[in-house]
Amino acid sequence: MKTLLTLGIVTAFAAAAFGLEIGKPAPDFTGTDIQGKTIKLSDYKGKIVVLESYNGSCPFCKNHYHSGAAQELQRDLTAKGVVWLLVNSVGPENSNHRTPAEARAEWADQKMAATAWIDDSAGTLGHLYNMKTTPHLFVIAADGVLAYEGAMDNNPKPFGDPRAAKNYVSAAVEELIAGKPVTVPQTKPYGCAVHYAH
Amino acid sequence: MRHLFNVLILFLCLATAAARAAHTQVSLLLPANPAAPGTTLLVGVNLKMDPGWHTYWKNPGESGIATRIDWQLPHGVTAGEIQWPLPQVLPPAEVTTYGYHEDVVLLVPLTLAADLKPGPLVLRAEVSWLECQDQCVPGSAPIEAALEIGSPARRSASAAILESWQAKTPRSGDPLPFQARWEKPAVGDLRTLLLTFPAGQIPPMLPVDAVDFFPDASEEYEVQAPAERILDSSAHFVIRKQVKKFSGNWPATLRGVLILERNGNREGYDVALPIRDGTPAAIVASASPGQSQTQSLWKMLIYAFVGGLILNLMPCVLPVIALKILGFVQQSQTAPGRVRALGLVYAAGVLMSFLVLAGIVIGLKSAGHQAGWGLQFGNPVFLVCLTVLVTLVALNLFGVFEVTLGGRALDAAGSLASKHGAAGAFFNGVLATALATPCTAPFLSIALGFAFAQSAPFILLIFLAVGTGLAAPYVLLSWHPAWLKFLPKPGVWMEHFKVGMGFPMLATAAWLFNLASGSYGKNVLWLGLFLVVTAFAAWIFGTFFQRGRRHRGSALAIALLLLAGGYAAALEGQLHWRSAIAPSANAGSLQESPEGIDWQPWSPEAVDTARRAGRPVLVDFTADWCLTCQVNKKTSLEIPSVRAKLKELNALALLGDYTRTPGAILSELNRFHRAGVPLVLIYPKNPAAPAIVLPEVLTPGHVLSALDQASH
Repeated sequence: MKTLLTLGIVTAFAAAAFGLEIGKPAPDFTGTDIQGKTIKLSDYKGKIVVLESYNGSCPFCKNHYHSGAAQELQRDLTAKGVVWLLVNSVGPENSNHRTPAEARAEWADQKMAATAWIDDSAGTLGHLYNMKTTPHLFVIAADGVLAYEGAMDNNPKPFGDPRAAKNYVSAAVEELIAGKPVTVPQTKPYGCAVHYAH
Repeated sequence: MRHLFNVLILFLCLATAAARAAHTQVSLLLPANPAAPGTTLLVGVNLKMDPGWHTYWKNPGESGIATRIDWQLPHGVTAGEIQWPLPQVLPPAEVTTYGYHEDVVLLVPLTLAADLKPGPLVLRAEVSWLECQDQCVPGSAPIEAALEIGSPARRSASAAILESWQAKTPRSGDPLPFQARWEKPAVGDLRTLLLTFPAGQIPPMLPVDAVDFFPDASEEYEVQAPAERILDSSAHFVIRKQVKKFSGNWPATLRGVLILERNGNREGYDVALPIRDGTPAAIVASASPGQSQTQSLWKMLIYAFVGGLILNLMPCVLPVIALKILGFVQQSQTAPGRVRALGLVYAAGVLMSFLVLAGIVIGLKSAGHQAGWGLQFGNPVFLVCLTVLVTLVALNLFGVFEVTLGGRALDAAGSLASKHGAAGAFFNGVLATALATPCTAPFLSIALGFAFAQSAPFILLIFLAVGTGLAAPYVLLSWHPAWLKFLPKPGVWMEHFKVGMGFPMLATAAWLFNLASGSYGKNVLWLGLFLVVTAFAAWIFGTFFQRGRRHRGSALAIALLLLAGGYAAALEGQLHWRSAIAPSANAGSLQESPEGIDWQPWSPEAVDTARRAGRPVLVDFTADWCLTCQVNKKTSLEIPSVRAKLKELNALALLGDYTRTPGAILSELNRFHRAGVPLVLIYPKNPAAPAIVLPEVLTPGHVLSALDQASH
């Protein structure tokens, strides 16, 4: 029985990993943003999409937003036609959870410049993409293929100036726009664990 | 009153502020105060966390951040690396992290320079950490402690606490033979890794309840948390881990802490294991690979040598020994110098044979075949040749004919010398080796099991060590023939002794003949007839050619004709000796007598099925030619107490016959790091428990106690 269970777990992990692979089509999803709008990945076909697993109370995310570095990058990339989606998968019982109203306040307060904030309180999208940490980033190329997965940058700390670090997301997006292969397609994500609903 | 109220308010505010700022309190603990210059103090940084909160290990895992200590130390005091106590795997399950709940002491060695002046010092550091519950908060705080430099040093009140935390740090430099290897090629960015503690290694391990591996931090790859323990009877444990690669190459070395848990206690071992590809590598990997590799090679060479020595006492080799002793007695009187020379020639014969064997093993290995000790006894052509050879040796001992150097006729003066000439001594060495192979002495199987998995130079070394062991007593005796003084003076008794030793040799021939019957069935009669013809030819050769006066030429011709005719008619014509029919593996019970053990044919599936049904399993890997196996069976397996125990435990007895199914059994032997039979295993009732490997030479006690152990 125990062996069966273990086998099940391993298979689940393997399946999750198989669904998500650099160079393979990124799985499609449908979600609702904090304005109540439906967001569908396949609607953005032809555009580069950035997914960011986000938790406004996590010190690692705070470091990117309080410094303004994340908003700067969002402004820069969305101006080039890139779609930037925040994904908040923190479960409702967690003190870091944001209701849509709280999220809208945070969006305004932080002067966020992303395309949308997907409310993923149920964790469906987070689990589909096997989001481990906040932040955890994904870059999907215009043809729907996963081009990058991992950390925001090479500064795995909740302090230090993000502008001084090497940003993997902007590098991947710039390379995609230039039609070049992505030099660093995968890194180890860092941050707080995603506090999924139980 | 108002004043007091204000103080109270202030105190409350401070308390709340502290709680908000940190759920973790830090302090610095010293093991001794005062402490003497020139010593190293293992100080502790104590992190006390509120219930439900945790801080992180040196590898935080998939999220989190390791606790940091930035020292501000006075001149003459230097801090070493943090020694981390074993961490826990922290929730949530989706994201693997390693850290500590409630209370932890991180240990840091502080070295006090020898020229530190006596007096007070202040040790300071800034500790920063990430504390998480269902949310994460970064925290930091200064710590400091006053230390008096002076002597005598005095243990502090914290010393015992520090020692208890030191006991929770992993052991390093303890060379335990853990092994790591990739299970299969990578699938995308995932690859499965197997971590093994092979059975039959030294030191013996108690059964462990759980095993896990916590990796060192790496930006390039991650060893994921689920540790799946897999059943493998050749190892104390095997765990399977998934490795996820982010960038770079797949790691070649696995660094981290291996954790063994038994009876609720956890023991950690710092490891740096080379990760091997594919099949299990028998090379012992450990915390200090280079050193233990040479150590185990030395150990194996000693085992090989001792095993070679013991081979001399095995029943198959003993007659050859008798021959040799006889030679010494005869010659020590007349030509001590010659005895020494012949002793060396004998050793050369032995070593040459072992070189040939090593060459065959290396050749088979490089051709991708499996090689096993004594496997040639499953080869009918080899058996026929050896049977004929041993028969001739027996006839020679009976005096039917003589072995002479260069065909020289026997005369009174030269008889002693020629009888044990250089060719004879060399031949004896070869014969001793050929006869020694079916008897795998204890020690030898360990060394050979090791050797068979090594590279060519190691195989050669180990084989030569066995040969040296086998030859050593004779070389020694040939240099000190005086040690044989207890034997009577040469005389007629020697002739009787020689003929007497012909009978064990004849018995060996009968045994080999019996083995050959396994390959030829009833046709083996033709081999018997050929032996008679050969004996007859030998008699004609000895009596009319060697000792005859007239018609010696025709005698030689007749002897050769008989041999050739016998060969053509019996071996080629009837026996078809070079194309033996492979006997089909027996199905059904292999029970030997009505009340005997109900042996079933062995197969990996049979073991699996029985284990899944919760039955203990006894497996005897044996071969007809393996004398040790036969002795084991008679003395320790087919005995009433073991039969009763097997019935009582509802255990299944499986017999693996190496002669009949060499391939499958050989790979099983290799898994247990044995080069040949005997191998007796007992699989416990609990399907998760590893197999118990019994020693080569059994006693009823071994079997019964292992069966008892297996019934739990």
